[in-house]
Amino acid sequence: MIVLQDIHKHYGRVRANDGVSLTLEPGRIYALVGENGAGKSTLMRVLAGHTRPTSGTIDLGGRTVAFLTPTLAREHGVGMLYQDPLDFPAMPIWENFQLGAPKRTKGQVFDVIGELSYRLDACFLPDEAVSSLTVGERQLLELLRLLDLGATTLILDEPTTGITPEQKRELFDLLMKLAREENHTIVLVTHKLSEALEMADAILVMRQGAIVATLTPPYDEGELVLRMFGDAAESEGADAPGPATPRPAALDAPPRLRLDNVVMAGPKYSMGPMRFSARPGECIGLAGLDGSGQELFLRGLCGLDRMPGGTLTLDGRAYTTNDFPVLRRAGVHFVPADRLEMALFPALTLREHIALAFPGRSDELDAFYQSQCVERFNLRAHPQTRASELSGGNQQRLLLSLIPDHAALLLMEHPTRGLDAGSARQVWSHLHDRCRAGATLIFFSPDLDEVLAHSHRVAVFYDRAMAAVVDRARATTEVVGALMAGKDPDQVLGGGQ
Amino acid sequence: MKRATSRATSQEKSRTQSQEKTQAWSRFPALTEAGWLGAALLLALGLTVLVTLPSGASPFETIAVLLEGGLGSVTKLGRALAGWVPLTLCAVGLLVTFTARLWNIGVEGQVVMGAIFCTAALRPFDTGGVPEIILAMAAGILGGALWALLAGLLRVFGRVHEIFSGLGLNFVALGVTLWLIFGPWKRPGVASMSGTEPIDVSLWLPRLGPMSVSWAALALALAAIVGVGLLLRRSSWGLKLRAVGENPKAATLFALGPRRRLLQAFMLCGGLAGLAGAIQVLGVYHRLLPSISSSYGYTALLVGMMASFRLGPVPFICFFFAVLTVGSIQLPLQMGLDSSLSGVIQGIMVLSVFIVHGLRLWLRQRREAA
Repeated sequence: MIVLQDIHKHYGRVRANDGVSLTLEPGRIYALVGENGAGKSTLMRVLAGHTRPTSGTIDLGGRTVAFLTPTLAREHGVGMLYQDPLDFPAMPIWENFQLGAPKRTKGQVFDVIGELSYRLDACFLPDEAVSSLTVGERQLLELLRLLDLGATTLILDEPTTGITPEQKRELFDLLMKLAREENHTIVLVTHKLSEALEMADAILVMRQGAIVATLTPPYDEGELVLRMFGDAAESEGADAPGPATPRPAALDAPPRLRLDNVVMAGPKYSMGPMRFSARPGECIGLAGLDGSGQELFLRGLCGLDRMPGGTLTLDGRAYTTNDFPVLRRAGVHFVPADRLEMALFPALTLREHIALAFPGRSDELDAFYQSQCVERFNLRAHPQTRASELSGGNQQRLLLSLIPDHAALLLMEHPTRGLDAGSARQVWSHLHDRCRAGATLIFFSPDLDEVLAHSHRVAVFYDRAMAAVVDRARATTEVVGALMAGKDPDQVLGGGQ
Repeated sequence: MKRATSRATSQEKSRTQSQEKTQAWSRFPALTEAGWLGAALLLALGLTVLVTLPSGASPFETIAVLLEGGLGSVTKLGRALAGWVPLTLCAVGLLVTFTARLWNIGVEGQVVMGAIFCTAALRPFDTGGVPEIILAMAAGILGGALWALLAGLLRVFGRVHEIFSGLGLNFVALGVTLWLIFGPWKRPGVASMSGTEPIDVSLWLPRLGPMSVSWAALALALAAIVGVGLLLRRSSWGLKLRAVGENPKAATLFALGPRRRLLQAFMLCGGLAGLAGAIQVLGVYHRLLPSISSSYGYTALLVGMMASFRLGPVPFICFFFAVLTVGSIQLPLQMGLDSSLSGVIQGIMVLSVFIVHGLRLWLRQRREAA
């Protein structure tokens, strides 16, 4: 049994954890839910020994300490599985497995892997490199490694982000087995309520650094949402997700974008030839596991990655090379997910960003800032604020306000990354407005629900190729999930597509 | 319970007090800055004392000799100013490259290349006047800019970091100088480290009264300070360059032409360094020497670091360093110490500024955490 008592963790003025008390009992599955920035990850990092709390105590099987180190946490059987598996892709499976374990021969390691795999219905070839595994398999390997190290309390941080629905099913079965049969404690950190409702014996709701509710079955979904979002949730029902955009222009309207036998080449791989077209006003979501090709598709479309073959036709004009500045002038606008890394200048002020993005407006910059950022996008910050000082939501608002009005083709990577529910809604309502005004949006998101909710059509990528394009009417979690996992499109869609 | 409340209020009180205090400080930011600079200077003095102790010399006497040697008379002041000009030109140029986050360590070689091009431009003329001098300066600027462009091209298209290419090109430039002095450009009959045949007096830069510095050189250095200041802080070119330095990936997305701008920054810095080299030839040595750059390029890097790459302090630090360099000539004469001590003091000063700066950041973090 693990008891956390009054844990505080402050970063400067930010109170990531503000007096959290928590008891974890063996043999139970807990779900820790909350918005982005609610303090879930911080709390779990405290428990795994990666973060030292400002104050509070941790009670592990009778021993009380003020903080844990990773070693201490491991000795008490706490193991954490991160969102992105912390492994060494270039090394073989057995070497990854052996990391942190007591000294053993290669043969012994092979035996342990075999035994654990058998017990948990997994299958690993110990000599293969980890880079040949899928994200789901890498997670499983990491889980095996933690169990081998004697973990009895497993923390899983957003484990279903990069895996297929089927892999998720298997993972959840395994977690159930570990809790019910082997009396392990499981803590599932997630922002997907369906997973929490499905799995957990108790749901811990975090908000603003504190646990605001502990729910037990039978669950009331409405109550859960209310606890998580508080006042914001009330408007949630009114503004249901889904593109409010009417069906885009008629089929016979000239396409905004047409790709003929286009080949795209990134630094790691190339794909194609592809055919694809998009109409004005259309929202197209890209679905696919990490590295399936959707990133390259967007970067190739805007000219950041090369297009060695084929023709790209934009509003009737054909291009055989995809030069970034040329396409940008033609109305192609790319918004990366990594805002501070890729899209903004951390030490420059908002005013300077506007000056850079709209060179023609330099004479009336302050008035333009007021009308563009403050009034249109509700970006409440002084124009002399630096980009690095903005919250994630405000950074995204700034990025949206930097998109020129004439942008005809918007390419967005994960438009709501790191945003809370309220900000995400604002972003989507703005993007839908743009589409209604005739812009075409192509975006991807690792959150399949988001892709399905906001697309007229879904393009599914598998194994570095565009596997299928599914209409909104047929795009369900099951269909898209099967395509993402590599099922034959003819079979899944019944050959009609 | 009661005690807890009273503690809370006393904490509250101390917090408002400390807030008032910080407000009183922050009302005079310049004063705070000066205070920290003073702390850095004190630290530097302490470290200098430590370094000079083993040599048996009195540290205060050493410093007095250094300052007297650089400021003691009009002639000495003139020499210090003659050192200030190339140092300032290089340091101001480095501000441009640093704005683009480039470590243009090749500035030293760019000074040398400027001097070589300047000398080459003057070779056809036995005597001359203002047009020839202007031509020679333009050639110097061109030489420095091309040498910098080479490092820039290697960086932008060859992915060779400018520190490595710059360091290599510095040695190449020095090698070219030596080859020219001992080969094609050697003085008739003799080839020695004392350099090429001196240029005619009519090609020298006009001097400022009794001082060995030229008013033209001073004017150029001042113009460079003002020009670079305006360019970096007031022009849209400067804003774009800052953006490129801040985040090259985002600069691509904003279509700011990051590659072209990096090359421009290199060439601007190289041009100013080349001008410094030309002034060394036209105004100071009147010939090409192996040590024509007097390591002003490397010293300018120290100046830039000490100024945290802000324009304001640069002219003053340059002057101080120039005084130390000129004053150090007196060390072997008056005290039997090695003249390299001035270099040691310069290095100590830069380190002291870093230490004090680090201390300040640490204190601020602790204050914020509390």
